[in-house]
Amino acid sequence: MALTGLRIDGRRPGELRKITSTTSVLSQADGSAYLEHGNTKVLAAVYGPREARHRALVVHDRAILNVEFNVAPFSTGERRRRTKNDKRLLEMASFIKQSFEPVVIAALYPRSQIDIYLQIIQQDGGILQACINAATLALIDAGIAMTDYVCACTAGWVEREAVIDLNHIEESSDTSEVTIAMLPKSNKVTLAQMESRLHVDKLEELLSLASEGCKQIHQVLDKTIRDRAEDLAQKMAV
Amino acid sequence: MSSSTTTTPAAVNGLATSPAFTFSASTFQKLHPTEFFRNFVSQGVRPDGRLLSSFRPTTVHYGVITTANGSAMVRIGGTTVVCGVKAEVAEPKLDSPDQGYLVPNVDLSPICSNTFRPGPPSEQAQVVSESINRVLKESKVLDLKDLCIEEGKAVWALWIDVVCVSYDGNIYDAALASVMAALKNVRIRKPTYEEGVVKVPGGEAADDENSFKLNLARTPLSTSFVLFDTSLTLLTDPNFAEESISQGQISVTIDEQGQLCAISKVGAASSSQTLLKQCVERARKRNEELRSIMNQ
Repeated sequence: MALTGLRIDGRRPGELRKITSTTSVLSQADGSAYLEHGNTKVLAAVYGPREARHRALVVHDRAILNVEFNVAPFSTGERRRRTKNDKRLLEMASFIKQSFEPVVIAALYPRSQIDIYLQIIQQDGGILQACINAATLALIDAGIAMTDYVCACTAGWVEREAVIDLNHIEESSDTSEVTIAMLPKSNKVTLAQMESRLHVDKLEELLSLASEGCKQIHQVLDKTIRDRAEDLAQKMAV
Repeated sequence: MSSSTTTTPAAVNGLATSPAFTFSASTFQKLHPTEFFRNFVSQGVRPDGRLLSSFRPTTVHYGVITTANGSAMVRIGGTTVVCGVKAEVAEPKLDSPDQGYLVPNVDLSPICSNTFRPGPPSEQAQVVSESINRVLKESKVLDLKDLCIEEGKAVWALWIDVVCVSYDGNIYDAALASVMAALKNVRIRKPTYEEGVVKVPGGEAADDENSFKLNLARTPLSTSFVLFDTSLTLLTDPNFAEESISQGQISVTIDEQGQLCAISKVGAASSSQTLLKQCVERARKRNEELRSIMNQ
């Protein structure tokens, strides 16, 4: 970090990257959203509730959630073809599924399946965070009942400074990064992931920073949804 | 999602409009799709309001993916595709030591439509990929010798990936247009070759003397049609619903000099030669429009 206290891309430690979000971008999906955290660009599509693909997985009293990733080969610095069964992707899909399971009111849609497809268009750090936020918007756009938004944010120690919303360069450096997914209304955490070494004392600061970040992200997402709803209401009133 | 514009129930032709046989338009479409379309086509229009020979609004955006060497996004009506080109240094193929190569691939995944299942590429995706590959090769869109870095040792391999984001028919036109647009958009940093090592300078490729663009000999663009019903009515730029009930598909690929690069006709046995001529004529006009959209 420069002497001026700014990070490698000119941000302050507690500053998020620029977020751009739009809903209803895909005509075929029931709900969709496009989200950018700086240069990380993700497209989410929700199909459902619809008939379950496999009879064996059907649950009689609620819907099942299914999350799938598609990483475009041109999304990273070097072209890398990720197969569908890539363990990292399967792991991330499973995290996302588990973050949404407590929030989606699945009991309203028995015997059906809700599919969340995530298309990663460009990667610059914070993939899991972007995917969870995009999935939240897409689920709301699809009209699927949820108890709250799920907002995710990353936090980490970069050069002995606690920062949020790490980009790719910061993630690849010798840093410990934690991703938190939170329900902003109740302040409950549905997902916490960290894979590096971190001193126990430092965890609390990271967690509170990440929660702050989640709250800020919640405001942005909420505004997008409300603007869209007002827009629709105006058009329908005509 | 689509609101059914139903104020009057559609009468099934021939049958009296007694209450037992009246449906809303969208139900009728599901039960008798061909009959539903026939009611429109006989009046010279299609359910989405287009004339039989009209195209859906088309847009092209360049440089949408900054991590790729070249990229483009093409929308034709409800079909949206994103194409990214990445250049990698690779060893040349044994039988062409002074030529690079192009590897196109089209990805139709469940995100773009209800009808695609997860798993390995479907037959449709593979057929579209292979058609694009053939057009690139046979029309000699690019002189592959331009992609040579050091003969026999290192060449550029261009990986062309087309990701369909929303599918509403006519994937071939959209994919080919996006590939051509992305190739026009490609910028690669000039590499140096010393003692068996290729060095590619870092940093963004820009329009300066340290980067080069691709010299495209021609940019073929395609126009697709379907043949509907026993009358083999020609519908241009089919959407998904029209493709599903079509008897046959025709595709005409033309470059900017008006030269035919590829023709494909499958299904619907027809002996009419005027049909293909009609298609080529419409394709020529459409080509000009598409080129002016791409050159904006």
